[in-house]
Amino acid sequence: MTRRSLEMGMAVGAATFLIAVPWLIPALLDRFWVSVITEILIWSLFASSANLLFGYVGLLSFGQALYFGFGMYGVAFGIDHLGLSFWPAFGLGIISAMAMALFSGVFAVRLSWHYFAIITVVFSLIFYFLAVSMKPLTGGDDGINFSLPPVFKLGTKVFSLTDPTFQYFFILAVVSLCFFLMYRVINSPLGRGFLAIRNNDLRASLIGLNVYVLRLIAFVMAGFLAGVSGALFAFFGRYASATYMFYQVSGEAVVWTIVGGAGTMFGPLVGTSLFIVIREIVSSHWEHHSLIVGLLAILAVIFAPKGIVGLWNDWMTRLDARDAAASAPPRLTLRANP
Amino acid sequence: MSEAVLRTENLTKRFGGLTAVDNLDISLAGGRVHAIIGPNGAGKTTFFNLVTGLLRPDSGRIFFRGRDITGWRPHAISRLGIKRTLQVKSVFPDLSVADNLWITRQARNRFLHPFRPAASDLAAKSQVEETLEQIGLAALAARAAGTLSYGDVAMLEIGMAVISEPSLLLLDEPTCGMSPAETSRAVAKIRDLARTIDIVIIEHDMDVVFGIADDITVLAQGAILASGSPATIADDERVREAYLGRPEDEDFVEEAAHA
Repeated sequence: MTRRSLEMGMAVGAATFLIAVPWLIPALLDRFWVSVITEILIWSLFASSANLLFGYVGLLSFGQALYFGFGMYGVAFGIDHLGLSFWPAFGLGIISAMAMALFSGVFAVRLSWHYFAIITVVFSLIFYFLAVSMKPLTGGDDGINFSLPPVFKLGTKVFSLTDPTFQYFFILAVVSLCFFLMYRVINSPLGRGFLAIRNNDLRASLIGLNVYVLRLIAFVMAGFLAGVSGALFAFFGRYASATYMFYQVSGEAVVWTIVGGAGTMFGPLVGTSLFIVIREIVSSHWEHHSLIVGLLAILAVIFAPKGIVGLWNDWMTRLDARDAAASAPPRLTLRANP
Repeated sequence: MSEAVLRTENLTKRFGGLTAVDNLDISLAGGRVHAIIGPNGAGKTTFFNLVTGLLRPDSGRIFFRGRDITGWRPHAISRLGIKRTLQVKSVFPDLSVADNLWITRQARNRFLHPFRPAASDLAAKSQVEETLEQIGLAALAARAAGTLSYGDVAMLEIGMAVISEPSLLLLDEPTCGMSPAETSRAVAKIRDLARTIDIVIIEHDMDVVFGIADDITVLAQGAILASGSPATIADDERVREAYLGRPEDEDFVEEAAHA
């Protein structure tokens, strides 16, 4: 079996599984696991915002929770304070996350490495404490609860996220669309520019790439991904809370990305699935489940610096090379000296 | 005489107490290959760093074809057509050889398309293939640049300079670390380029310098010690003196004098 057909098979299998979830999972396990999978989808989109920055542009952000939080609060403010319907509230969440990313990005992307990491943390801490202290507006730690407006109406039929199956497919569709957009960007000229900057920003500037502007574009795009995931999470939980802006949430996205495979499309999905499934299984028996997370992160950094998906890719490349060597005709032929 | 391609006025750069470039007035005419030589620490690479915007001068001005580019950012200077190679070879190690060339060509455009597949740009693709042939790296096109030998990386850097279609090319020790065969391939390529592009080259290999330069400028302690044709430089007493402290360099000048 070739690499291509194997990976195509896996992709088709994964897609079929994701579509079958609302019927398959309750039959095999329990309805509860459908919502766990929904949560995995949302958080993997959040992790891929950290992945876009770290894996493709070389910026390690520990502040993506800020844009997740803005996505959440945009939706909650829109519905609860402004009385917006579903789509305008969704848009408000995404736009406010991107606007915030643009604002902090203007300062942050001037810096690189540890300085960049520190400033992203500082920004998210500032707004975390602001959100916690402005309790009348944000609800602080308790957050804002809201009731869901319908997504759309078709004749007399009303589609709303209160229907768990519709909610699952709505979130699956939005997350898939975002992954598809990210795939297009990564493989576009802009994406190559990102990779060039991650590889060697000095050389990138010497060939004429505006490193600052490209990093800022990437930062706002990552803000978009985090904002969409935050907005989805607000719809999913019917509330927004300042707790999700804390830097621990940002850190989780980085850990999931690194364990899953930074710089790969599906690394964040793999990492997020792994950790959330572990959390759900272990946390009911043992309260210190985050020890397992820490241990896995350490093991991944030492033994699989390119993450689980990176291991898979290396393994596939070796398999390819072996197949090519086996199928190629022998190159060396003995020849008698004249 | 036509406007100088590159001209500096009172260019000065200090690092703490060390004056790397000292009140330098240099004027390089178009259509010729200029070599900048001088002992280590003479300020050659600092001069390139000032011209390409990696460093800001403490004082003085830099003009490119009459345009004041002092204090411009590196990418803006690059977009004017001033391209360079670096002394410590600098490519994109994780990208393939072909992608290194591809992104370098693409960087000439102001706009990088965010959604179109990168592979769909056929004009860029054929230009990459052509350049790969020219620099003799076609067989290594799919290899990650970080896995190439030092000489191949140096060749790739020259390829990246070529595909960026510069109007002024600054080469910082381009043949350093190359095998003799690679060196002669690189020298042939540089000669070929010099027919259409203005070139300034920093080089320690005097065979290379005297093989391709039309004019030579000798720097010592950040200032011009001598400048002129290769023949005048080879005979210049002060140039010999500047190299006397370094016997291995003296050999080069001796050798060059008899070339």
